[in-house]
Amino acid sequence: MSDSSSPTPSSGLLRLGMALAALLMLAALGLFYLSLGDAPASDAEGTSVTITASGCEPNALTVPAGRHRFTVINESERAIEWEILDGVMVLEERENIAPQLHQQITASLQPGEYQMTCGLLSNPHGTLTVTAVEGQASIQSVSAKTMIGPLAEYRVYLILQGRELQKSAEALQRAIADDDLAAAQQAFVQARLVDQRMALAAGMFSDLDQRLNARADYFAEREQDPDFVGFHRLAEGLFVARSTADLAPVAKQLSADVALLTARLQRDGVPASQLTKGSARVLRAWHDYQQSQPQLNARELADLRGLQQGAGKVVSLLSPLLQGQPQLAEALQQSSDGLAQTLQEAEPDRVLLLQQTEQLTSALAQANEQLTPAY
Amino acid sequence: MSLPRSLFFAASAFGLIGLNVSAHAAVAPQDLVAPITDYKLYVLDNLEQFTAHSREFTEAIKAGELAKAQSLYAPTRVYYERIEPIAELFADLDASIDAREDDYENGVQDADFTGFHRLEYGLFKQESTDGMAPFAERLMSDVEDLEQRVQELTFPPEKVVGGAAALMEEVAATKVSGEEDRYSRTDLWDFQGNVDGAKKIFELVKPLAAQEDPAFVERIEQNFSSMEATLSHYYVEEGNVASGFVTYDKVSDADRRALVGPVTVLAEELSTLRGLLGLN
Repeated sequence: MSDSSSPTPSSGLLRLGMALAALLMLAALGLFYLSLGDAPASDAEGTSVTITASGCEPNALTVPAGRHRFTVINESERAIEWEILDGVMVLEERENIAPQLHQQITASLQPGEYQMTCGLLSNPHGTLTVTAVEGQASIQSVSAKTMIGPLAEYRVYLILQGRELQKSAEALQRAIADDDLAAAQQAFVQARLVDQRMALAAGMFSDLDQRLNARADYFAEREQDPDFVGFHRLAEGLFVARSTADLAPVAKQLSADVALLTARLQRDGVPASQLTKGSARVLRAWHDYQQSQPQLNARELADLRGLQQGAGKVVSLLSPLLQGQPQLAEALQQSSDGLAQTLQEAEPDRVLLLQQTEQLTSALAQANEQLTPAY
Repeated sequence: MSLPRSLFFAASAFGLIGLNVSAHAAVAPQDLVAPITDYKLYVLDNLEQFTAHSREFTEAIKAGELAKAQSLYAPTRVYYERIEPIAELFADLDASIDAREDDYENGVQDADFTGFHRLEYGLFKQESTDGMAPFAERLMSDVEDLEQRVQELTFPPEKVVGGAAALMEEVAATKVSGEEDRYSRTDLWDFQGNVDGAKKIFELVKPLAAQEDPAFVERIEQNFSSMEATLSHYYVEEGNVASGFVTYDKVSDADRRALVGPVTVLAEELSTLRGLLGLN
C-alpha cells in the first residue's frame, strides 16, 4: 500500500498512526479471543472448517440437508474468501476473512454434492456432501417467496420478447407498405413466432387477444368481416391471396396493438397462477383446434413451435420449485422436452404432436395444483 | 393480541412491546418481482456495454496500441464493477476475469493468472502489449461466456438485494486501500462503479424500504450523497462524472478518511436490507 518513495510523515501523524495501530491490535486480539471462546470446533449445531495456506481442513465435509451453520477459520496468512459452489455457481460466500480470525456462515442446502473454495484460487477445492434427512421431503416448500425469482425472470422474458415482437411488427408494416411480398412473408413468420411464445400473456387481455390472434371463424362474416384483423387476417393476404393488397391498415393496427401489449406487460407483469394455467390454456386451444382439422398445415406447425418455446420457458422456471414432487417435476420437464424434440423434425407426425401437447397440458395442470400455495 | 389494557400500557411504557415494528405491514413477496425484473434489465444493459467495451479494449491490445489500451482499461471495467453481485456468482469466470495476483500462489507468474489484472500488469507496469494477445483473447471469450450465462440466469432475489451491501463491502475492503488497481491507479473508476451498482439496487427497492423504515432510507441517501460529494473532487473535468477520474495517488489523506466513514456505514446499513424486505 505505501511505497518507498512516499514522503516522511510528520511526528504528529506518526504518533496518531501508532496509537491507531495499537488500538487495532487490541481489537484484533479481542476478536481473536472471542473467536476462541464462542464457537468450539465440536459445536453440535455447526461444522468447522479451517483454511490453511494450502487448502481446507478437513477437505471433505458431510452435513445434513437444511439450514446449517459453518464456521470458517482462517489459519493462512492472507485474507481469504470461502465459498460453497454448485458446479461453477456460488451458492454462499463469506469474503475477506482476515488471517487468524473466524467467520460464520449459514446456508440452506438441498441434498447433493457441492464444492468449497479453500483460500487461494490455486488451492484444490474441497467437497461438501449434503445428505437427505428422513421425513424432510421438501426443505424449500413452495411459497410466495420462492416465486419471486421465477416471476421476475418470466417478466424479463416477456419484456425482451415484446421488444423483438415490436421490431418484427414494424418490419412487417414496412414491407407491406413497400409492397414487398417476400419480405412481408418473412417478417410475418418471425413476428408470429414471437407472438406465440408470448401467447399466454396476450391471452390475459381479451381486447388485444381478439385483435391480434382471433381466427376468421369467430366473426360473423368470417374472412370478409371488417373486424377480422390481426395475424390471421395478414396470413390470409400474404399466404393465401399472396398479395399485400388492403393489408397496410391491418399491419398498422397490429403494430399499435403490439406496442400496447408490451406497455401493459411492462407495467403489470403476469400473476403467478397464469404461468401454468395460461401455458396450459394456449396449448389446449391449439390442440383442440388441430383436432378439428383434417391435416396439419405449415402455419399451425409454426404456431406450435412458438407455443412450445413459451411453455418451455415456464417449465424451466417452475421445475426447480417442484422439488417436493420429484416425479411431477420430471414428468413436466420430460413432456416439455419431448414435444420440443418432435418439433425439431422437418415434418413431425401429427398424431404424436397431438399426444405430446396433451401430455404437456396435463403436466402443467398438475404443477398448477402443487404451486397453489405460492399464489 | 389480547393483553389486558393496563398490562399493555405498562408493557409499552417499559418499551417491551415494539409498537413501531407491529405498525408496519411486512413487504409482500410479489412486490419484489418488479424491482428484481428491473434489476435484471439493468444488468443485461450493462453487460451489453461491457461486451462492446471489452471488444474495443482487447482489439487495441492485439493491435499493439499501448496508449489506447491503457486509456480503455478503466472505462471498460466500470461495467463489470457495477454488476459484480451477479457476475461473481460464476466463480470460474470471476476468477479468470477479475482475480488479482494475490489470489494465486505464484502471484504474477502464476500460469492461471489471467483477466483484467494480468493485462493491467502488462499495460501499466511493464508498459507493453508484448505477449498480451493471448490474455486479451481469453478475456474476450470469458466476457462473452458471462453474458450468455447471465442471460439464462434466474436472479436469486436475496443475492440481488444483498448485492447492495456486498458492493459496499467490496469498496471498503479493496478500493479505499487502493489495492484493486495497483498498477493503473484507476481505483476511483471501480469505486464509482461499485457505488453505481449499490445505488441502483437501493433505488429499486427504496419505495418498499421506505414503507418499513423511512429513517433508514434517509440515512442511506445521506451517506451516498456525502460519499459522492467526496468522489466528485476527483473527476477529470469538474462536475462531469462521465469524464472519469484522476489517479488514486492524487486523493488527499483527508478525503481518504472522509470516504471511510460513509463507506463503512453504507456497508453496515445496507446489510440489513435483506431482512427489512423479508428475504432472510
